[in-house]
Amino acid sequence: MKTSLNRRRFLQAGAASGLVLATPGIVRAATFPERNINVIIPTAEGGGADRNFRAFTSVWKEKLGTEFEPGYYPGASGRVGYEVYMGKSEPDCYNLIFGNMGPEVLNWAMQEPSFAIDDYFYFGRVDTDPCCLFVGAESPLQSMEDIVNASKERKLTVGTSRMAHPASIGILALGEKLGIEFNLIPLQGGKGTIAGAVTGEVDFSVLTSGSVIAAGDSVKTLLVFGKNRVGEALDNAPDINDAYDMTLPEMLSARAFAIHRKAAEDHPDRYEVLTSTFKETFEDPALLKAYVAESGTPEYLNYGGAEECAEFMAAMLELGARYKPLLSGA
Amino acid sequence: MGDTAYLLFDVFLDTISFWWVIIPTIFLGLIVGGIPGFSAANTIIILMPLTLAMGLDTGLIFMVTLYCAARMGAGIPAILVNIPGTAGAAATPLDGYPMARQGKGQQALAISFVSSCIGGLLTTIMALALMPVLARVGFYMHSVEMIVVMLFGISLIASIAAQDMVKGLIAGFLGLMIGSIGTDVVYATPRATFGFLELYDGVPLIPALVGLFAVSEAFVIIEKTVIVNESAEPKKPSWHDTFEGVNIALSRWWHIVWTSIIGLVIGVIPGAGASIASFVAYQQSRAFSDTPEKYGTGHPEGLIAPESANNGVTSGTLVPLLVLGIPGGATAAIMLVVMQYHGVSFGPSLFEHSPRVGYGMFMAMAVSYLLMIFTILPLSRYMSHVTTVPTIYLAPMIIAFTLVGAFVPREYMFDMYLALAFGVLGYIARRTGYHVAAILIGVILGPLLETYFLRSLKKSDGDIMVLFSSTLGNILWVALIVSLVLPIWFDMRRKRRREVPAE
Repeated sequence: MKTSLNRRRFLQAGAASGLVLATPGIVRAATFPERNINVIIPTAEGGGADRNFRAFTSVWKEKLGTEFEPGYYPGASGRVGYEVYMGKSEPDCYNLIFGNMGPEVLNWAMQEPSFAIDDYFYFGRVDTDPCCLFVGAESPLQSMEDIVNASKERKLTVGTSRMAHPASIGILALGEKLGIEFNLIPLQGGKGTIAGAVTGEVDFSVLTSGSVIAAGDSVKTLLVFGKNRVGEALDNAPDINDAYDMTLPEMLSARAFAIHRKAAEDHPDRYEVLTSTFKETFEDPALLKAYVAESGTPEYLNYGGAEECAEFMAAMLELGARYKPLLSGA
Repeated sequence: MGDTAYLLFDVFLDTISFWWVIIPTIFLGLIVGGIPGFSAANTIIILMPLTLAMGLDTGLIFMVTLYCAARMGAGIPAILVNIPGTAGAAATPLDGYPMARQGKGQQALAISFVSSCIGGLLTTIMALALMPVLARVGFYMHSVEMIVVMLFGISLIASIAAQDMVKGLIAGFLGLMIGSIGTDVVYATPRATFGFLELYDGVPLIPALVGLFAVSEAFVIIEKTVIVNESAEPKKPSWHDTFEGVNIALSRWWHIVWTSIIGLVIGVIPGAGASIASFVAYQQSRAFSDTPEKYGTGHPEGLIAPESANNGVTSGTLVPLLVLGIPGGATAAIMLVVMQYHGVSFGPSLFEHSPRVGYGMFMAMAVSYLLMIFTILPLSRYMSHVTTVPTIYLAPMIIAFTLVGAFVPREYMFDMYLALAFGVLGYIARRTGYHVAAILIGVILGPLLETYFLRSLKKSDGDIMVLFSSTLGNILWVALIVSLVLPIWFDMRRKRRREVPAE
């Protein structure tokens, strides 16, 4: 399975982009885009990705000078949307997909899609929301020390939105470090995962922190599988790497726009317009306002280009392959 | 206490002053609830920009009213043309539609409206009064207990199968098999998807629902002139049937009370929903009825039970949302987003920091149900005319509407084909004496049972004895056995009594 980016092709695209950049903006604008941009969202309308998409494109469309048309293809943890995008959308830069890099890339590590993973790549990351470990407000486990002590007596149950999720990898990595075996229980989505911890269905849960913040004081966060950028909103929980002297990459929900690799290679000028306007969007203060209005956590709004995305994707695939037996029951 | 009473009264008056939002929203809710595939949730999503632009009070009252009205609206096509628009209304046509075919459509609508409104109003008041207690239900009802609750609903297959046990059980097991299509809930391994990605998340409920009930019904009614049986007495339109329906419902007030409480209790369990509640209420209603043999033939109690229960769920879902910050369903999740947008905090501190918002949502629900009974009831006279429309026009309209309804939730053409396939399956089942409701119960409740079952096994590392590991679970097991055995015992006793005078 080919997973890394093809650097030579990227350099070629970059060189072509440089040429395009040298041409006056007015000329670029006149050629692309000439019509609306279609975006496939592999999750349901009204969900977190949809709100995030609406917030971001409300500003991006001003920079790009065209509208974005979302199409929702939920199902199979995002797999349906990607299959539709790769199988049916034209690779012409007028068709993009907006997904969640963390869990959706992990899918490929569990079960390969029908297309080659290298045939698409993420070029614009909108936000990074680190996963965290939390307990219900009434749980008898109120600290990491409680959890470690309790796990010496019995195998603790851990709620997760689904097995192949960055949060699951976070807790498995912690278990590996501490020599503890945790029993992951998929609770089908963020709502169920929070409910599981609050009502005591499981001993504690792991999930992306944005959803945990939204649960308010019904829950208490004990550990973040990455940097705690929001401090008190996550109960000042420490970073797993600081707390346990680990070197785990940040376990993130990271929403990003992706494109057919063929589109970027065949139309480097168009690709350049997309990436440059995407970056410009982050410089506009209106973005933060729109992001917060759609319930986004301002600290999580975080630009990332193709390289950062490729790095994250590779890390997810590597960790997914490593923990596949535990996550897939294989 | 005095302060809370004053606050509640103040919030009540305040909510009444929003009648100009509530009344138009009731009609909007009835329309979206009545169209298969549409629901309060996707309407609120579509209107989200508008909702966010409203003030917090207006936005919440709008959403709550739409939620209640859509729930009630889903019962209308279920009764009149056998189209349950949502899974929550799937048990409604079991007795509602036979009533419509007997020419009692108007009466059935009146029974449905009164049961829904009283059930909804009563459970809203109970939810308001018992909020701290009800919020604890979710702390005790875990996956093991939910397995037993599911079995209450699934045991309805056996009741339906009573007339022809072999065919009934075949239909039920076929439904359970169809329900197991899709990826498993633990490791997401695809099963029986036949290579269709669209089936990875299981058989979508709305296409299965409208296909089995409505499309197959359209195929059947096209063979007749009108929906109403030819043997039914032709009637002149009058208010009499509406009043009779109201009277029938009110005279069974106790039935409304206890079945709506089933809905309330199931509604407060995060993740459980109206489909479970309506089937469990129907099964319990039948199990403890003196006339169980009348169920499925147009028995008013068979209509009252699911309608009261699914409206009981509506108020129940607000409890975990407001007290614990856990949205019980899709509509509640969107309410959470809107409240967050307005900076309202959730969980235990809500009633401390924003009591008007917390009480206001329950009050909006209570006022909506109050106003609904007066606005909807008169419509029953006109709505029931649908059953007298010649089938030559009605059948194509049903098929067109239901196919659109099948398409709407996911916007997949595949789902329209699936609805047609289920329609053909339903038609064959009807023509050969297999009960479509038994198939449908398997399709709806089977995946839920499997979810809770696999979750319990995963928690116990595969130890099957986990099913008997909790006290509440064991009590529920006993209650399940009692509710299955008692009707048989009652039945035997009745037969013996009938035989005694003969001797």
